[in-house]
Parts: sequence; structure tokens; C-alpha cells
Amino acid sequence: MAFHPRETRGPLIASGASPTRRQFLQLGALAAVAGTGVLAGCGRERPRPTPTGEQIVLSRPNRPTRLPLHSDVPAIASGLAPEKGGTLKVFNYAEYLSPDVIKAFGDKNGVKVEITTFTTQDEAIAKLRTSGTNFDLYFPTPDILAKIVAGKLLQPLNPSYLPNLRNAWPKLQDPFYDQGSQYTVPYTAYTTGIGYRADRVKSVPTNGYDLLYDASHQGKVYILDDYREALTMAMLRAGQTDVNTEDPAVIKAAGASLASLVNAVNVKVGITAYQLVPEGQADVHHCWSGDIVNAQYYLPEGTGAEVLGYWYPAHRKGAVGTDTMAIPRSAQKPVLAHMLINHILDNDVALENFSFTGYQPALSVVTPEKMVADEYVAENLTSAIVTPAHYTDGLQELQLSPAGEALWTDEWAKFKAGQ
Amino acid sequence: MRESRSGRRLWPALAAPGTLWLLALFAVPFYAIAAVAFGYPDPIFRSPVPEWDPRYWDFTLFTEVVQRSLTGDLRPVFVRTLLFVGLALLLCFLIGYPVAYYLARYAGRRRGLLLALILAPWWINYITRMLAWLSLLQDDGYVNDALIALRIVPDPVRWLSGNPYTVVLALVYGYVPFFIVPLYATLDRIDSRLLDASRDLGVGGFRTFLHVTLPLSRSGLMTAAVVTALPMFGDYFTNTLVSGSPTTTMIGNQIEFYLLGGSRKEIGASLVLILSFMLMALMAYYLISSQRANRETS
Repeated sequence: MAFHPRETRGPLIASGASPTRRQFLQLGALAAVAGTGVLAGCGRERPRPTPTGEQIVLSRPNRPTRLPLHSDVPAIASGLAPEKGGTLKVFNYAEYLSPDVIKAFGDKNGVKVEITTFTTQDEAIAKLRTSGTNFDLYFPTPDILAKIVAGKLLQPLNPSYLPNLRNAWPKLQDPFYDQGSQYTVPYTAYTTGIGYRADRVKSVPTNGYDLLYDASHQGKVYILDDYREALTMAMLRAGQTDVNTEDPAVIKAAGASLASLVNAVNVKVGITAYQLVPEGQADVHHCWSGDIVNAQYYLPEGTGAEVLGYWYPAHRKGAVGTDTMAIPRSAQKPVLAHMLINHILDNDVALENFSFTGYQPALSVVTPEKMVADEYVAENLTSAIVTPAHYTDGLQELQLSPAGEALWTDEWAKFKAGQ
Repeated sequence: MRESRSGRRLWPALAAPGTLWLLALFAVPFYAIAAVAFGYPDPIFRSPVPEWDPRYWDFTLFTEVVQRSLTGDLRPVFVRTLLFVGLALLLCFLIGYPVAYYLARYAGRRRGLLLALILAPWWINYITRMLAWLSLLQDDGYVNDALIALRIVPDPVRWLSGNPYTVVLALVYGYVPFFIVPLYATLDRIDSRLLDASRDLGVGGFRTFLHVTLPLSRSGLMTAAVVTALPMFGDYFTNTLVSGSPTTTMIGNQIEFYLLGGSRKEIGASLVLILSFMLMALMAYYLISSQRANRETS
């Protein structure tokens, strides 16, 4: 997926300018130069590195993948003693792992645990590929697994260190994206739905996505600033359930649907629903389930969680996603890394972690009833809890072919251009 | 003047730090961006691989992006960016000129204090200040409370609901001190005897301003405009913070999307190149006209 619930964007230095008419002409001349290849010698063919034997497979729930094992990247042997002292290096999104959880683990095992953060998986991959860097634990999304395993960035896991994997949803103990859990174990699960102010929305229509198109919330409607999520929302609203489609007509129709939001409600894009909904800047916000769980902690004083609402399709054919934990090939403390994974898969530890991140573990212990009883979520927000049934019926946004990717990004760029 | 042999070597040597600076911080990064824009995708990771050898540069994608900028979906974004920056510059002029003029001519002993006050907001991080404005500009925020109490507007202004005026005002707020300071420096250097001479010749205050002060401050105005406009053109976070609506998307936002949001960084690199070429054209115009202004004054 393009943006992950935990992805944030720091300032990026970008210099830019707008053209005057004369500059347009100069630009045109430049384009002509580029187009006709007048620059001497440019555009020659060069032998490019080609994939050696291995094809990157686009895994799908109905097309499960067994990721390849490499003879030069073995898993660690069973029964090894944990490494002593030093620093265990964790590579993760910001605010996506409870500091208390890792501190407790570090104290128990006599190791300092250090978190390095990334904002996008692209950035993470770039760093993992840099020689000389090493991390012991990394949190990839399922869609990128095929390429990072082909690129030999991960090492296989040794299941003998991971007895707590049995706590995970049965389906995720042998997931379609990594059959046999050779490289990953599940971390969190989330859905993408509609967060809203229950006190300002009179009634939620059966097709809850229509809330975003409701003119009575003019100026107070947000969709996720994420090309996959936003276009997927428009597809799901229209009843189109292949959210990994590469059909230009379907993608175009979704783009047109988003564009209609500009006139209908002057739609805005954002990724801070957990703040905007409780504070009242947004009436309706296309968001992740974790946003609305976290929103409970951003309510102004004197306002209760009853003003919040989260809609997800009753037939459960909505967007759903999971995250994973994996050990990079470069890990210096692979035994401790296995132990930390097992620690995070522990039911109690996972719930403690949930109360910090707002993104629930993909473990069987999490049920809507228990989450309400234990006060993780208010009773009116049980729709934000993901169950194995949601996962089975839900639709996941997965890796596209480069050509498909281009169709999606360009359609989104067109929407964002706001013409 | 007679030049010694060592002198001939000394003067260019003095330029070396500046040359190195330019190479390290401009030429090399610029070349790297070009190498990414004209490069090829990694077969496994699909991330762009820079092509350092210009003989193998591939311009297909770049040409496509240029096309989109001229006639396609990127054109309205360029036009909007130009409009927003133009409006913001005009407002900067209307607000900044009187302030700089007052500072240079009438502030007297309080000049230092006033200059310090103008720069004081810079002690707080830009994003922090914008976040503060976000809560002030809420529908039920203090700004709307004040406007309603003063009966200026009957209903709360939807400042943050994708309002283009908010974006322009935020740009002005963010960059107006950059406008004031260089302008002040120029106005301060204008010989007051020229103004006296103008008055002695029977020209009124306003016409003196129009025919003496304004032309003499031209180079300062140019500098102020360039220093303010360049960062405004590349700004995207102001827009993201105060609007987020597709109707106010500026070119910086599209670059941000391609570099951070999607998997097609090479398009982001191409856009950066196009914009850099435009900025260079703008800079060239500035350099030529400031040279001309210098020649006219001397």
C-alpha cells in the first residue's frame, strides 16, 4: 500500500516554481530537445541488470505464495543461547511499538533496545539495502515481502523460538503472502472505514461511503491522503471489489468519483483522523480503524466517546490490512530478535502494546466483547475491532505491476490537481 | 594597477570556498536529481536507479512529465501556484513596504527593537507557529469569535475548509519578514539629501515617493521578491496544514506525493528538474535586471 496508518510525513525540501508564459516557451524548447534526442549521444541503450531467474510474484489471497528460500541466507539453528549485552536494534514506524513493552524485554534480557524509525516502506528498504546498516527486528507490510525476500533482505525465521505464534489468528499462522510463515509473523490488523461525529451525522446510510458525499457536511469531509486507500474507497462504494484491479476504466471511474467530491463537499485529504474527528474539524473522515481507537484519547475535556462513530460495511467486503514482523538478514542478534517477536506475540504483552499504539494485534484473544469489557474501546466503537471474519471476507490492497501502479498514481495525481 | 604573479593566483583562490560550496550543495545534488529522473527502475525493488552516465540517459518519462505540465493535469497546478505566489507577493509588498519604510525613515532609536520584534517569530519553529494558527482559525476558534463579536461577519468563516485565501494569507504570514528585511536595508541606504532635493524642487511627498524613493528601492524590492518567492514556490506544508483540499494543491504538493506517497520517485525528480529550470530563469531575470539597476544608479 502507498501509505500505511503509521506513515507520517516530515518536511521535505522541495524547490519549485511556476512558469510564466515565456518560461513555458523555454520549457517547450527544452522538451523538444529532450524529445528528439538532440543532446549528442543521449538515450543510448545500455545493458541493464535483469532479474536473475527469480520472478517477483504478486501474491493474492486466492493465489498464495511460498516465498523462496536462499541457500546463502540460512535461518539460525535451534536451541542457541541469547546474545548478551549490547544493543538490540528495532526498525519500525514511529509510535508503533510501546516503549514499556520493549523496556521490559530489554531489562529482562540484559540488552538495550533501540528503535530507529522510518516513514515509508520505500525508505525502510533503501536503508536496509545500504551496506553497513544492520537491524535485528523490522516491521514490513505483506505487499512488499516478495521483493525484499527476492532481494535477500530478510532471513528465514526459526519457528522453534516462536511458540507464541499459536496465539495468532489461525489464518495468519499460514498466511497467503508467506505460506508456512517462513519469513514473517503477524503483528497488527486494521480495517479502513468511515470515522464520523455521531452527534453531527443524523443517520448512517447502508452504503456508509455515501457519508463522504453528503453535501450537508460541506468543508468537513476528509478522505485518506493515500492513493490506494482513496481510490479503493471509491471502487468499494460503486460495488467494485477487485481493489487490486489494473483495469484503466475502473481506475478512471474511481478517480472521477473522487473528483466529484470536490464540488459536492469541497473534500480535503489528510491522515490525522484521530485528531480531526474528536476535535470536530472533521464531521466525516475516511480513516483506519486504529485512528478511531486513538481518537478516544484526543477528545476535548468534557466530551465523551459517544460522539465518535466508525462505519465498516456490514457485509465485511471492505478494506482490511495486516502488518508483520521479520528479521533482517543483517541482524546481529537474531536469537534475541526471535525472543522479542515471541514476547510481542504474548497475549498480555500484545494487549499492553495495543493500548499504546491503538492498532490491535492480530491475535485470537482480541474480541469485540473483551475489548469493550477491558475498556480498550467504547461500546459504540466495537466496529473498529477487527476479527478473523473481517480478515477472511475483507479486501487487501496488495502489490501491483509497475504499469498498474502508474495508472493508480496518475489517477490520484489528477484528482489532487483539482481541476 | 599592477598585478603580481602571486596576486593573479591569489584572487581566484579566494573564490575557492564559494566554488566548492556551490559544487557540493548545488551542482552535485542537481546532477543526482537529473540522474534519477533520467535513470531506470531497479528490477527487483523497482526503486529508481540513478544513471550517472549521460550517454545512457532516458528522456521518455521526462518528456511525458513536461507534456503533462504544459497541457495535462499538472498545468492547473502550475497556474495555481503562480497565482498564489503572485497574490502573496503583492500582499507582502502592501504590508512590507510601509513597515520597511517606517523602519528606515521614522523609527529612530526604536529601530533595533522593532527589527528584533519583526524577526521574533523566527525564534519559534515554523510548523509550531502554523499549528498554533490552526487552533486559532477553527470554526469555533478565537479568530472567528473575535470577528463575530465585532460584527464583521455574521457566521464563522470556514478558514480551514479548503479556503484558497487562507493558503495565500498563510504564505504571506510565513514569509513576509523575508520581504521586509532586505527592503529595509535598501531603503535605509537611500541618501536623504535626494529626498530633500526633490522637495526643494517643489515636488510633494507622494510624488517624491513615486519618482525618487520607489525607483531607488527597486533593487531591494527585487531582492525581497526573489527571497520571498523562491521558498513560496516550493512550499507544500503550509498548504497541507491549512487546507488539504485538491482545489488549493500547489506544485510542491505534487512533488511531495511523487517522492513520498507513491512508488514513482523518478516523476518527482523530473518535476523538481522542471521547476529548477524555471527558478533559474527567474533568477537570471533577477540578476540581469539588478545589474541593469546598478548601472543606472552609478
